[in-house]
Amino acid sequence: MNRRFIFIYGLIFVGFFVLLARLFDIMVLKHDKFVKKSENQRMAEVDVQVRRGIILDRLGRRLAVNLENNSVYLDKTNYNESDKRLQEVSDIIGVSFNELLTQVRGKKNFVWLKRKIPIEETDKLQEMRLSGIGLMAEPKRHYSLGYMAAHVLGFVNIDNKGLEGVEAVYDKELVDLGGKYFVERDARGNMFYNTNENERTGNTLTLTLDQGLQYIVEKELDDAMEKWRASAATAIMMDPYTGEILALSNRPTFDPNFPGKYGPASRRNRAITDFYEPGSTFKIVTAAGVLEENLVKPDDRIDCLGGAIEVGGKRIKDAHPHGVLTFMEVIQKSSNVGTIKLAQRLGKQRLHGYIKKFGFGERTGIDLPGEIPGRLRNPERWSGVSIGAIPIGQEVAATPLQVLTAYSIVANGGYKVSPSVVKEITDTDGKAHPISKKYDGTEQVISKKTIDILKNAFTMVTQEGGTATFARVEGNLVAGKTGTAQIFDRAQGRYSHTDFISSFVGFVPVDKPVFSMIVVVWKPRGAIYGGIVAAPVFKNIATKALTYLNVPKEEKLKNTTLVVENASTGKKPHN
Amino acid sequence: MWFVQINRKYLKLFDWYMLALLLAISIIGVMTIYSATRPIITTVQPNYYIKQIVWIIVGLAALLAAAVYDYNWLRKSGYILYIAGLVMLVIVLYAGKRGMGAQRWLELGPVSFQPSELFRILLIVGVSKYLSTIDGLLTRRTFLISLLVFGLIPFVLILKQPHLGTSLVLLSTFFFLAIAKKIEKKLMITLIIVAIAVPPVAGNLIWKHLKDYQKKRIVAFIEPEADPRGIGYQVEQSKITIGSGQVFGRGYLKGTQGPLRFLPEKHTDFIYCIFAEEWGFVGSAVIIALYLLLFLRGISTALRSKDEFGRYLALGLTFMLFQYFFINMGMVLGMMPVVGVPIPFMSYGGTTLITNYIAIGILINIRMRRLAICY
Repeated sequence: MNRRFIFIYGLIFVGFFVLLARLFDIMVLKHDKFVKKSENQRMAEVDVQVRRGIILDRLGRRLAVNLENNSVYLDKTNYNESDKRLQEVSDIIGVSFNELLTQVRGKKNFVWLKRKIPIEETDKLQEMRLSGIGLMAEPKRHYSLGYMAAHVLGFVNIDNKGLEGVEAVYDKELVDLGGKYFVERDARGNMFYNTNENERTGNTLTLTLDQGLQYIVEKELDDAMEKWRASAATAIMMDPYTGEILALSNRPTFDPNFPGKYGPASRRNRAITDFYEPGSTFKIVTAAGVLEENLVKPDDRIDCLGGAIEVGGKRIKDAHPHGVLTFMEVIQKSSNVGTIKLAQRLGKQRLHGYIKKFGFGERTGIDLPGEIPGRLRNPERWSGVSIGAIPIGQEVAATPLQVLTAYSIVANGGYKVSPSVVKEITDTDGKAHPISKKYDGTEQVISKKTIDILKNAFTMVTQEGGTATFARVEGNLVAGKTGTAQIFDRAQGRYSHTDFISSFVGFVPVDKPVFSMIVVVWKPRGAIYGGIVAAPVFKNIATKALTYLNVPKEEKLKNTTLVVENASTGKKPHN
Repeated sequence: MWFVQINRKYLKLFDWYMLALLLAISIIGVMTIYSATRPIITTVQPNYYIKQIVWIIVGLAALLAAAVYDYNWLRKSGYILYIAGLVMLVIVLYAGKRGMGAQRWLELGPVSFQPSELFRILLIVGVSKYLSTIDGLLTRRTFLISLLVFGLIPFVLILKQPHLGTSLVLLSTFFFLAIAKKIEKKLMITLIIVAIAVPPVAGNLIWKHLKDYQKKRIVAFIEPEADPRGIGYQVEQSKITIGSGQVFGRGYLKGTQGPLRFLPEKHTDFIYCIFAEEWGFVGSAVIIALYLLLFLRGISTALRSKDEFGRYLALGLTFMLFQYFFINMGMVLGMMPVVGVPIPFMSYGGTTLITNYIAIGILINIRMRRLAICY
């Protein structure tokens, strides 16, 4: 081997040594710097994608779940289709050709063309075998009961963000686990989500609703709407001890699977967002007040002045004239005059105090969006007529839920009630966190003695001579109160003669109620009285609900009824 | 019948070792191309790797063809082949197809190829023949003639395409062979002086004639981080890709720089980065060792060749491959300007691959016939 070859070998070995040294420098000694640069340029921080937690009823039946729906995307790097084929795509998914063309010619490599398309469209697109236009599964919220309980559940937008109902109130719990993670992106800024790895399921929401009760309520409301050709209706069923809402339904309603197809009137949760003058149902306040203050005894006689009384220069009449009635009968027959005379014993300040005690004028604090506090003026701002109008449920406004909450206080023996629709939140580890308040019997609002008398009086309402005999349920005693309120016509500046709001609120069985319930019907046609319009709805729901809940029929019922009948003298049910 | 006999005899002498090294590197290349061109948005794998496999099969056929017939015919027709090569270079300047700002491609029916690639071999054949016909040292006369014919003329023709990388590789291959032949002492000293003095002058001259993109590459080489999104971007990304391989690599098909399109030319000139990212320093050292063994084999072939022509041929081909490898490595490691030189056997590309296979075929041929007396 001559010197030339030694030189050549040397050249090659030196060359390789230099390369190896450089590789060692970059890959072993300085790699941290480059690894960091690589990560910085390819990692983008995004919120953790969380599949919405599901929503269950109180017995674990699924009310809201997630389905896989396909979304159509455009991947421009692989797009290679003729205009004719693009037109076909446009026809299938219903996005205009020009819009599609704009995306095809646009800058972004990855764009959604249409989100969450129906399965028929998916099939057609797959048959076309398109290049650069593909389908990707995305979770879509599905409400398995359709319009049932729509106002409680609410709905979500296309990005699965809760907009109404518990979906909105508990959006954070259902979705946000407070995390961010990194996704890869390419040099052109396209991000690549790996849905399998970085998707988690949010907390599970267990509602206080009972699907079976909800179904009964929905069905009966539909029938009532049809029968009375009403403009709207609401029914709420509550556990009077815990405040848990067992069923809540409004008419008109909507299907939360397609919220966009319905107007805002259908989506409104009247049970808490609309107030009305509660009418006679409001007499509960005066009755409780005079009993609490020992201003009356149940058997005391009150002269109802033949059906009319003058208060502050205005004549207030009874629907049906009465002579002298006992305190119990004033409630049973819903005498306005009698109630006003009782309220006058109580006076403005104390009356106002009891109104507040029953929770009127304040939000109940239910975990649903949009609740209003109703309307209640301070005594200083009452007019001369107010002491006559307010006791019979005029000049005040309340939501159906407020009225129901007030009656639930009587139902549970005088304790404060805080309504709620969510029972518990079950986290991803399976641990349950209770939300609805347990009945602890600590905050007594009204005394036991008064409650007992009120329960009797409200039971008489549904017995012979009461205003709500149609609310009676076979086998169990119903306690409650009717209400018929005129609607104040703002255009004419007076109460309408044709439009009324009929309501019945009560609870059953009277001794140990399993539920309290209010039924409100707006603008019924053919009849106006709460005892005629709303009471039968209450009865129908209650009958089915008691059967559904396996509540035993009471044997002593007949005897109890006799006591009530002795006190009755009235003929027709009325307000 | 003699044909079969010859075949059987040479089958024993066939350089399986060289072929094994070649195939090992090529297969690693295909695997890396597959990884580099992985799609992210869709699931459709681009067919680059399949094309490369096809090129390898075609290349193997060319390799066998170059190995089977005694390379003596190359010596006999050396000048004719060289002249044909020059003619091709001229044709490509006038009738060639433009691609990426340069005129390098010649279309022959459905196939298009780069004449400058094949010319690399033809030049070495020509130079080797010339050097083997000269007895003793290169004198000033013979050196200048060969410098003009085998050095400057092809340098200018290829520079005009323009293809700076190849033209420099070929010029330095000429000098390498000339030095290997041995030059008169006086002339050698003059050359060394010139070599020291010329670069500043020639550099200035060349700089003026460089295309804009070529100038940018040099600026980017000197200061890569000054303009990270511009031309220096390529150098920077190349280093990031290699550096993030660390010691043991990210794992095969786990690299991100290629599929996420941060590294341009990921499957061609910068394929080595993708390999380094996935296999780490350990893998990178292994593949460098494979190349080293291949080059050492080439030089030992030169040492054992039966004649002078074979020696220069083997040296020239090995040195050419070494240069491509070394320049490419220097480029991806940020030690040299980006000149657009592929790494032999690994980079995606048909013409280069087949040409390099032919070069290996000739090397195998030379080694196979080292025992000339036997026949």
